[in-house]
Amino acid sequence: MRVLVVEDEKKTASFVRKALQAEGFAVDVCHNGDDALAAARTTPFDGIVLDIMLPGRDGLSVLRQLRESKNATPVLLLSARGEVNERVEGLNAGADDYLPKPFELAELVARVRALTRRSAENKSTVLRVADLTLDTVTHRAQRGGMEIELTAREYRLLEFLMRDAGRICGRMMILEKVWDYDFDPGTNLVDVYIRRLREKIDANHQPKLLHTVRGTGYVLKETP
Amino acid sequence: MTIRTRLTFWYAGILTVSLLVIGYGTYQEIDERLRHDHRRKAEEHALAEAGEMVFQVGLPAILLGLLGGWWLTRRALAPMAGLTDAIKKIHERNLREPLTRTRNGDELDRLTEVFNGMLARLDDSFNRTREFTLHASHELKTPLTILCGETETALRDESLSPAERERAASQLDEMRRLTRIVDGLTLLAKADAGQVALKLEPVRLDELVRDNFADAQILAEPQGIQVELAGCEEITVRGDRHRLRQLLLNLADNAVKYNQPQGRVTMSLRRNGDTAELTIANSGPGIPPEILPRVFDRFYRGDPSHSQTVDGCGLGLSIVQWIVSAHDGSVTITSEPSKLTTVTVRFSLLEVRCQ
Repeated sequence: MRVLVVEDEKKTASFVRKALQAEGFAVDVCHNGDDALAAARTTPFDGIVLDIMLPGRDGLSVLRQLRESKNATPVLLLSARGEVNERVEGLNAGADDYLPKPFELAELVARVRALTRRSAENKSTVLRVADLTLDTVTHRAQRGGMEIELTAREYRLLEFLMRDAGRICGRMMILEKVWDYDFDPGTNLVDVYIRRLREKIDANHQPKLLHTVRGTGYVLKETP
Repeated sequence: MTIRTRLTFWYAGILTVSLLVIGYGTYQEIDERLRHDHRRKAEEHALAEAGEMVFQVGLPAILLGLLGGWWLTRRALAPMAGLTDAIKKIHERNLREPLTRTRNGDELDRLTEVFNGMLARLDDSFNRTREFTLHASHELKTPLTILCGETETALRDESLSPAERERAASQLDEMRRLTRIVDGLTLLAKADAGQVALKLEPVRLDELVRDNFADAQILAEPQGIQVELAGCEEITVRGDRHRLRQLLLNLADNAVKYNQPQGRVTMSLRRNGDTAELTIANSGPGIPPEILPRVFDRFYRGDPSHSQTVDGCGLGLSIVQWIVSAHDGSVTITSEPSKLTTVTVRFSLLEVRCQ
């Protein structure tokens, strides 16, 4: 998987590159819009991380140019302005996702992962991690053959974590996908739900599956 | 005493004095003529005749003058009342709309012109403050992004000792808090400048409240707080779904945060005439009356000791107030110390015709 990162702020570009490389992506970096457009036209990328505020040609203009020339590479927009309108504008211009700055690195990585994997998404109706299973048709969850009662919200949270099993899921992305919140509510809602979910799926079982990655997010996996 | 009354009194005074002058002149004239005619008792005659003339002609003249004066001042000062009404309606959000001028070049028109100039200067300085906040919050975002990103990168380092890891994670928590403050400030600065567009559509408020009730129960559980829904009528309003959910979550979160262990939170949504009335009450320690009017102020923390224990960005209620006013609603908060604290939000109902 090859990803293009377009970000004029050198330090930001550097840690984004490192984080994506750590996830196994090959990463190219551009610092302005014109270079980005040239790179995207000559190299087939699997995804582009595109900052909106760039010197010269801005991110939205790069995106429009790409889409006009029938380039459908998935694009994640980054913006320091973080306006609701801008998000809509970006998505209308053909972006696949939008992340306001300051973002959490785990969040960005998770989104790029989702972006590049979109076509090969796990379409299976029964999700499985160790002896935990979740049937996405009947909404039934079982661990070690024992039925687990879940509320609608807990079900959505578990499904989201299981679809991304083994990967760290950031708080904002959970709020967006499970709660459909487009804002950071500044509450510990996610932590409390995770705690409840953990009681239901991990309390009487070994090994523990649902882990908190301090300062980063949550991950559902067999080995800690 | 209004200017009009004062002017009328002065006018009456002047009329009386001039009438006396006229009377005296008439008396002198008549007296002169009578003396010329060598009549006797001229003096008494002259006085009586002059008095009669003044009484018969002067009094109606005075009354007419008074009426005329009253009408004249009323007419001259009528634009003042209009001006007063217009000025009364000025607040920080409509400074950009100048008062309507008559352009007839009179004193009041001149006053309006000067006043409009002052409005423009005020608007300018309000704008500068807004822009400053907006720019400041934008400027903070790049360094914050770098700080968060690099700390997170450091946390991924496997060779970190548990103590180092804990320190980095704790720093990250504070950076996230700072991020929330900056986000809140950006939102409010934009809202002040009228740059936040709401996506208004018919929204089933009762569904949002039920949804929020479920979240509130979960939020309250760790502190052993009971949350109840004391009524939830089917209500549709015209609003922005995301912002209304943000409003509900903010209020529910506050009701739980500023509560006592084993306390209670009661939510309800009712129809009251043509308004939807949402109340969220908590059994918290209450808000002292001297602090109550300021709870919607940005970064206002009534009790400094409280801010140490409750985590928040200090902008929650300001954001609530903005969301409510952006929906043309109203929000009030009442509190009895050590009893109930109730937040009431009112929106106009959207009349949906049943088919």
